[in-house]
Amino acid sequence: MLLRGRCAAYGRVWLPVGSPQSLARRTELTAAAHPEASEAQPLVPLHCLLRAEPGPPRLAALPTGTPVWVLTRHADVRQALAHPGFGRATLYAPDAPPLTLTPNILDDPASMLNSDGPDHQLIRRTVQRAFTPRAIERWRPWVDGVVRELVDDLAASGSPADVVAALTKPLPVRVISRLMELEGLDIDRLGHWSDHALSTTAYTAEEIGTAIGEFSEFGYQLVLARRKNPGEDLVSSLVQAADQTGGVTEAQLTSLTIGLVIAGHETTMTSFGNALVYLLDAEHADAWRRIGEDLSAATAATEQILRTVPLGDRTSAPGQLRRAVTDVEIGGVLIPEGAIIACDSTSANLDPEVYPPGPTDLFAPLGTPSLTFGAGPHHCLGAWLARMELELGLHHLARVLPELRLATPVEDIAWRTGLLTRSPLRLEVAW
Amino acid sequence: MSAAPVAVTVDQARCIGSGLCARTAPDALTLAPNGRATPVHPTTAPSDDLTEAAEMCPVEAIAVRNPTTGELLAPVW
Repeated sequence: MLLRGRCAAYGRVWLPVGSPQSLARRTELTAAAHPEASEAQPLVPLHCLLRAEPGPPRLAALPTGTPVWVLTRHADVRQALAHPGFGRATLYAPDAPPLTLTPNILDDPASMLNSDGPDHQLIRRTVQRAFTPRAIERWRPWVDGVVRELVDDLAASGSPADVVAALTKPLPVRVISRLMELEGLDIDRLGHWSDHALSTTAYTAEEIGTAIGEFSEFGYQLVLARRKNPGEDLVSSLVQAADQTGGVTEAQLTSLTIGLVIAGHETTMTSFGNALVYLLDAEHADAWRRIGEDLSAATAATEQILRTVPLGDRTSAPGQLRRAVTDVEIGGVLIPEGAIIACDSTSANLDPEVYPPGPTDLFAPLGTPSLTFGAGPHHCLGAWLARMELELGLHHLARVLPELRLATPVEDIAWRTGLLTRSPLRLEVAW
Repeated sequence: MSAAPVAVTVDQARCIGSGLCARTAPDALTLAPNGRATPVHPTTAPSDDLTEAAEMCPVEAIAVRNPTTGELLAPVW
């Protein structure tokens, strides 16, 4: 179970802080194989991405040139994310330095993500109850049924098949559509909005603005419709909670609604696809069978995969950004008021002070929670739903197709690129 | 009339330091300098705010119990 066993070809173990990934490999070969792919490919699979070596906070620069303190140790990242001395709202204050070359939906100042303290609590409170471990656990029988259906259909379609189209893409869409009662939601339209909303370099600022505008209008109409005719769904419950509490603006409600739609499918699809790139290698054949035979093995492997396989290349920032609202000492370094920090959870998730270095035992309990879902006030709302979809997805796929393998070499994978996340556009599998 | 006190615990390994509980029930829970929630006192007066704090915790790290019987009082919904 060598996590990086097949990654040796991609170079050394650690990457210097602030230095860019060397992503493109054998460009000419892939350009010939995938003339439709505009980006230089193939790319390093996510589980082989180089990380910065965990160490004291170090100064680097964002692509905009803005200085940024990069935190890479587990303790530092965790402390900073939970520290009231660091916030998100001031990242968008008039005096804030430039953070992104092309803003996307994460840069919306009205969003829950970009609010702090009591303002943040006011919004988070409207949805938090629906996403606690026990609230999500109630969905398990239903999610289990959807996974079985998709996996059975995939198996019935015959080998080879595209597991992205058959499973990793439709599963999260089905789940969030059910939670929000968006039956009939156009999956291609959603994908279009979502890709633009999370774009880094794939689209122009105008294209991103137009798509987010359309998506926001969709979200706003949904809020109005559920206020008028409330149902048992998530949108109705958050509108009711917000209206009862008072003080939540329509822009915040709309932002939260479309944020749930995006977060509900994009990250899970990405994580699932990249987990399969990692697992469907001959090296992990035994682990794959065990995941299929034993649900608790799938649960453990899900945690280890979430810890060790990043969601994206982090080309737009070396971690989750915060701004110091006061002088704060972290990891022995004084971060002055107004400074920007990047919390690099992908490095922190490999911190040898917390997790055993070397090959990953997929079935070992984590001990200390990973920082994949963050920490502090902005800890991922959908963490428990994502975990459930992944563990059930991996378990049933491995149960029904224990001999599953990639049908094309990893270096020939066509990726979704230019976005905050990176995952296979298609993934041909055989059995 | 004062209700019987309840015991409050926070699982320090699970706690992700969201701070939601300390904002909801500041009399009972506080965010320690290490970024983890901690009870202000081991036992405290029961309150709706405390129940809400336990129910809203994103990782269910908080338990409110009857200090004598150990019965879990929140979260139970």
